[in-house]
Amino acid sequence: MPPSTDLLQGTLDLLILQTLAPGPMHGWGVAQRIQQISKEVLQVGQGSLYPALHRLEYRGWIRADWGNSENNRRAKFYSLTDTGRKQLETELATWDRFSSAIGLVLGRVGEVQA
Amino acid sequence: MMWEWLTRLRFFVIRKKQNELDDELRFHLDQATQARIAAGMSPAEARRQAMVEFGGVERTREQCHEQRPGWWLGTVKQDVRYALRGFRRNPVFTITVIATLALGIGATTAVFSVVDRILFRSLPYAHDDRLVSVGLVQPLQKQEFTLGGFFFEWRDNQKPFESVTFETGYGDCNLTETNPVHLHCIQVAQNFLPTLGVAPVAGRSFTADEDVPNGPRVVMITDGLWLSRYNRDPGVVNSAVDIDGHANRIVGVLPRGFEMPRLQDVDILRPAQTNVAEQQKANGGIGYRMWAFARLKPGVSIAEAKAQMEPLFLHTQQWIPAEIRNGFSLQVRSIRDLQMQDVYRAAWVLLGAVFAVLLIACANVAGLFSARGAARERELAVRSALGASRGRLIRQTLTEAFLLAIAGALAGCVLAQILLRVFIAIAPTGVPFLAAAQLDLRIVLFTVVLALVCAGLFGILPAMARPRAAALAARQTKSGPQARLRRVLVVAQIGLSVVLLSGASLLVRSFWNLEQQNLGMQTGNVITAHVPLNWERYPHGTGDFYLRAEAAFRQLPGVAAVGVSTSLPPGGWHGATGLPELEVVGRPPAPAPVREEVVWRTVTPDYFRALRIPIVEGRSFTEVERGTDVHLAILSKQLAATLFPAGDAVGQHIEHPVFNPYRQPGPVFTVVGVAGNVKNGGLTGDEEPEFYELRTNVHSEYWDSHNCFLLESSLPASLIAPWIRSRVAQLDPTAPVEIDTMKQTVSKLADRPRFETALLGFFAFCGLLMAVIGLYGVISFVATQRTQEIGVRMALGATRIDILRLIAGEGVRLIVFGGLVGLVAALATAQLLKSLLYNVGPRDPFSYSVVAFLLAIVALAATLIPARAAMNVEPVVALRYE
Repeated sequence: MPPSTDLLQGTLDLLILQTLAPGPMHGWGVAQRIQQISKEVLQVGQGSLYPALHRLEYRGWIRADWGNSENNRRAKFYSLTDTGRKQLETELATWDRFSSAIGLVLGRVGEVQA
Repeated sequence: MMWEWLTRLRFFVIRKKQNELDDELRFHLDQATQARIAAGMSPAEARRQAMVEFGGVERTREQCHEQRPGWWLGTVKQDVRYALRGFRRNPVFTITVIATLALGIGATTAVFSVVDRILFRSLPYAHDDRLVSVGLVQPLQKQEFTLGGFFFEWRDNQKPFESVTFETGYGDCNLTETNPVHLHCIQVAQNFLPTLGVAPVAGRSFTADEDVPNGPRVVMITDGLWLSRYNRDPGVVNSAVDIDGHANRIVGVLPRGFEMPRLQDVDILRPAQTNVAEQQKANGGIGYRMWAFARLKPGVSIAEAKAQMEPLFLHTQQWIPAEIRNGFSLQVRSIRDLQMQDVYRAAWVLLGAVFAVLLIACANVAGLFSARGAARERELAVRSALGASRGRLIRQTLTEAFLLAIAGALAGCVLAQILLRVFIAIAPTGVPFLAAAQLDLRIVLFTVVLALVCAGLFGILPAMARPRAAALAARQTKSGPQARLRRVLVVAQIGLSVVLLSGASLLVRSFWNLEQQNLGMQTGNVITAHVPLNWERYPHGTGDFYLRAEAAFRQLPGVAAVGVSTSLPPGGWHGATGLPELEVVGRPPAPAPVREEVVWRTVTPDYFRALRIPIVEGRSFTEVERGTDVHLAILSKQLAATLFPAGDAVGQHIEHPVFNPYRQPGPVFTVVGVAGNVKNGGLTGDEEPEFYELRTNVHSEYWDSHNCFLLESSLPASLIAPWIRSRVAQLDPTAPVEIDTMKQTVSKLADRPRFETALLGFFAFCGLLMAVIGLYGVISFVATQRTQEIGVRMALGATRIDILRLIAGEGVRLIVFGGLVGLVAALATAQLLKSLLYNVGPRDPFSYSVVAFLLAIVALAATLIPARAAMNVEPVVALRYE
């Protein structure tokens, strides 16, 4: 298992929002999806996942509803609210600007664009 | 954005269910286990690995909980609960802090609320910062005035002012309709109100064609008169009112709160209707006295205005008779300064005293918190070892300080309100605007914040400074710098309270002197009746009326003597002449460089009898002499000694010439006797030489319209007063009567010093109390901290006296040091009190000895109580003491 990389401050919120963009998902699913897509680089433990989910919920960016999971168990599904969707766009834009700026400074423009 | 806030608000109000989170976490764990089973692990191993990876749940739960908006409020609640529990465990600390804060906040707020109205209030004029009073001063007359002969010259040639106006001082007048009342009428220039920036609430100001010699009889009335006489009826404008027997038209009503710049009582304003040409001839060419006020042009300072007026003043000074010309100088000052001249000093002293009390209170709170902080050092260390962050500990301390400050502030506000009531109740009428004083919220806030800073700062210091591990390990804590700080605070408190006590003891002694002084006359059993008459009703003089009234009073039961005089000692208005104007016949006029004032009273023989003024040489006036046309005089002892140092006053003749402006011969008086000195320059003023003229019955036309009766009677004034009124009403139903007892009049004069003494005494008491509390706190803290050491010492053979000496020695050092510092400071600041003191020097050794003695007694008691407790500790208990 490759060593997990510490997430940049504030990026976990962005990752969660992005993961939830296609549709509702429960906490376990969000963690798994992030892990899969990042090719096992990013591992989100429950200790940081659930406080983040709660924080986003308190802010009104995502909402939580109880539903049934794929194996028919009661689970809490999170989905983006309208505010959340807007917030995602803003955060993505910020991220792009930020990462390309870092790329410029590090002289790795090509790689970032690829 | 809106939605976001709404969401937060919703979660703020509604709490999520605790078990929801648990369900969610359990689901997560189950899924992780399932995933591992799916990957081929045995169920047991899958669960074990999932649990290991999952980690602790409690931390997650807490963090989720902390995400909730308003979560911190809960911790505040926790802090508050913790603080309250601490207060309950330590009630002495709590009560002391709250009482100290309440005293400090209450006293400061009450006094500042009073002083603020006096020193910093806004005047009821538009742009009052540009209003000034302009006039002449001379050594005997420090209040500037001007003269009709100069004023118009100044007005027409001045540059620095937008406008210049004047009033001609107070004038009595009587409202002669049904229910006659005695009113205060003041004559003003036509531009008086516009210059002050005062607009009438009904009607209008005077017009230019009303302010001409022999102009129409028009008046403006004040709000007070409008209310009492007309119930604020707006229809009063243009109606007629009878004043001194003439119909006057009311043209306007002054706004509520209107006051004259010199703060005289006023009911009615009239146009001055000055004849300028006549002013330049009258009174030897300098005109009559008036008081001038001016509005500065924008951007002109008072100093610039004075500089620009100086040439005009020097020009007009030449018109003053040569013999008195040089004493005069020009004065321009703000109206605020004019009003507050003799209240300023007292107000600043009060303010100083109250800030000293506030400082003592703050030092006390700081000391108490610092001691408590040191005592709780171990507790703080334990809490931080258990995971409380430093921020959390500081917040906890702040919460405590805040709670105590709030409690202290509430108690302080109540106290301030009570104190304010008391001040108003005991204050003399002479202190302007006191009655309208109200609690000032700004100053409440200021004192609360100050208390908070003191408590917070000194409470936080121990939480900030200590390396925690050391505090945990050390069994006996001894914080060097903290302890030194507390000692410095106690020394400062003792020093400040010595300053306060010294001031108070000086004032008490001065007040004692004032009360005990010999007035030179009796004040008990003397009732005075002041009967001002309407001049115009008595074209042949008022003497006839006063003589008939005197005869009527003599027939009243229980009246032993009835005297008539133009004025009354010891204070208030009286007639006067200059010492050089009393020329001893047969002696060349002595050059008198100093223009000393001589009090002049015209009296009947019973004046001396009613007031029991002794005749020390010669004889008194007799009733028989009243019927003859003679000029007889009695001199006061002081005047006799000045004029006749050889002691041969009786039988001499004194001429009182008239200067108009050149000397013309005047009446020649024969001195028949010398009377004892009587206090006649106010209670605190110097005794002035006095000249008594016999009032004869012969010339009724010489009497003026203000005379007082003195009735000696053993009956109470309340019984005699209606009789006096009815006798006067029978003679002249339009004449108002003011009845007082001589005792009341004298007591009223002492009101002001009594007020100042009571206030400063109160503050000194508060200060001493708090300083003693502080001292007691520090000593008992030191004693408790050294309990173990005491045990060791006793085990090694120290006697109880040794222990007493050990602990009390600490206190004595603080007392001596603080006392010395305070005495030096007190001697340095006592000069400020000088003008408030009567017959006591600001370095009066007796007062300082009393202070030193009092401080020593009280402070030693505060030291000995904890020291005795330490002395009586059982060595075994002390050794085991943790």
